[in-house]
Amino acid sequence: MSFDLTVLTPHLEPLLAGALLTAEVCALGIAGAFGLATVLGLATAGRGWAQRLAWLYVDVFRNVPFVVQVFFLYYGLPEIGVYIDAFWTGVLALSLVGGAYGGDVVRSGILAIDPGVVEAARVGGLPRLDIIRRIVLPIALRAAIRPLGSVFVNLVLSSSILSMITLDEVTGTARGVAAETYRPFEVYAFLLVAYAVLTYAVSLGIAALHRHLNRHMVASPGVAGSEVAGKGA
Amino acid sequence: MRHAGFTWHDGALLAQGLGVSLGLFAGTFLIGLVLGSGAAVVRHFRVPALSPILHAGLELLRNSPVLVQLFLVFFGIPALIHQPLAPLSAAGLTLSANTAAFVYFIAVAGLDAVGRDQVEAARTFGFTRMQVVRHILAPQAAAFAVAPLVGLAVNQLQVTSLVSVIGVMDLTKAGDILNLRTLRPFAVWTMVGALYFAAAKTLTLLGNRWERRLRAHAAPLEL
Repeated sequence: MSFDLTVLTPHLEPLLAGALLTAEVCALGIAGAFGLATVLGLATAGRGWAQRLAWLYVDVFRNVPFVVQVFFLYYGLPEIGVYIDAFWTGVLALSLVGGAYGGDVVRSGILAIDPGVVEAARVGGLPRLDIIRRIVLPIALRAAIRPLGSVFVNLVLSSSILSMITLDEVTGTARGVAAETYRPFEVYAFLLVAYAVLTYAVSLGIAALHRHLNRHMVASPGVAGSEVAGKGA
Repeated sequence: MRHAGFTWHDGALLAQGLGVSLGLFAGTFLIGLVLGSGAAVVRHFRVPALSPILHAGLELLRNSPVLVQLFLVFFGIPALIHQPLAPLSAAGLTLSANTAAFVYFIAVAGLDAVGRDQVEAARTFGFTRMQVVRHILAPQAAAFAVAPLVGLAVNQLQVTSLVSVIGVMDLTKAGDILNLRTLRPFAVWTMVGALYFAAAKTLTLLGNRWERRLRAHAAPLEL
């Protein structure tokens, strides 16, 4: 059998619909993951019981395979009376795991903030919530955009696993097309390249956004040197 | 509903599944480590033709879902070559190649961290390329790469859970079977998750110990 991509042309429409569903579930999942990562980052950078609880959460969700988490949410939760459909299970699962990975990134962004900045805000009399909202988070999140971006790109790749809980996103659709056309090699090769091109484009976009938002941080060697000297003094 | 409760035999089923998962992980990680490092050395010496092809292929593997790679190998390759492929072979092939892709990018960063002047100095002293790799590049790159490699190992251990889709009897498949019989998904997936968690934590602990030892050895070299 020769390699022939034209067998896919009649099936492009369902594949595009699947890709749209992937985009939807990923967009909602990334939004949820971003919110959770911010909360977890603040908690793990802090002290006390909130920090211990957040660490436990991050530890569990980073050390249990995503498939098992998805199966637990989709098949396990109905047993205790919580019913969520496949789409929202997908959104929830992506948010929970993305939050765990992103929380670590946000945490290192927060820890990298010059303590003098926060001290100045405190001396200036800003309330704690305002310091977090207007000083800590803008600085930390801006620095964390690139690593957060790779977490989100990984989330898009993980979303293919949602085809295992009957969600007909692009991988699920492709399984159907492969079964219908008997051309699995063409279908999956096309899908693989499509995912790679998409995620590669997204990471290029994120890198550009990172550079744009951090453009004022690019200091000349002289300025950077004086900053280091200032810290030492 | 007969035989719906948990029995001691279920423990054996889970243990067997865990064994398959760990074995598959250990085998594919070792192969991936060798292949990925080899590709990184090829890139380091800028071997013409081979180097850019490897780079493009591994970049493709790193940027696509493992599940799709698994389907491509298990369903796609047999359809193309008209030869059946056993689930375990397909899983081994896919995971090895996937691990190699991630190892490659870690190893490239590790090799780049070693100054080119060191390589030039060694070449001036008459070291062959293989000697440069063995005595100059490998020890320093390994010390640099060990932390990301431990992280990758924990990740790849979890990625093995995907091979249950193509019928390999790993820990996730054992959970699936147990779930179908007992109809107690909440308990089953909690147990399976706990086993994966324990395995991943053990791996992290071992990795950290190994890292400390390697760094203790490497520290005087950097001074």
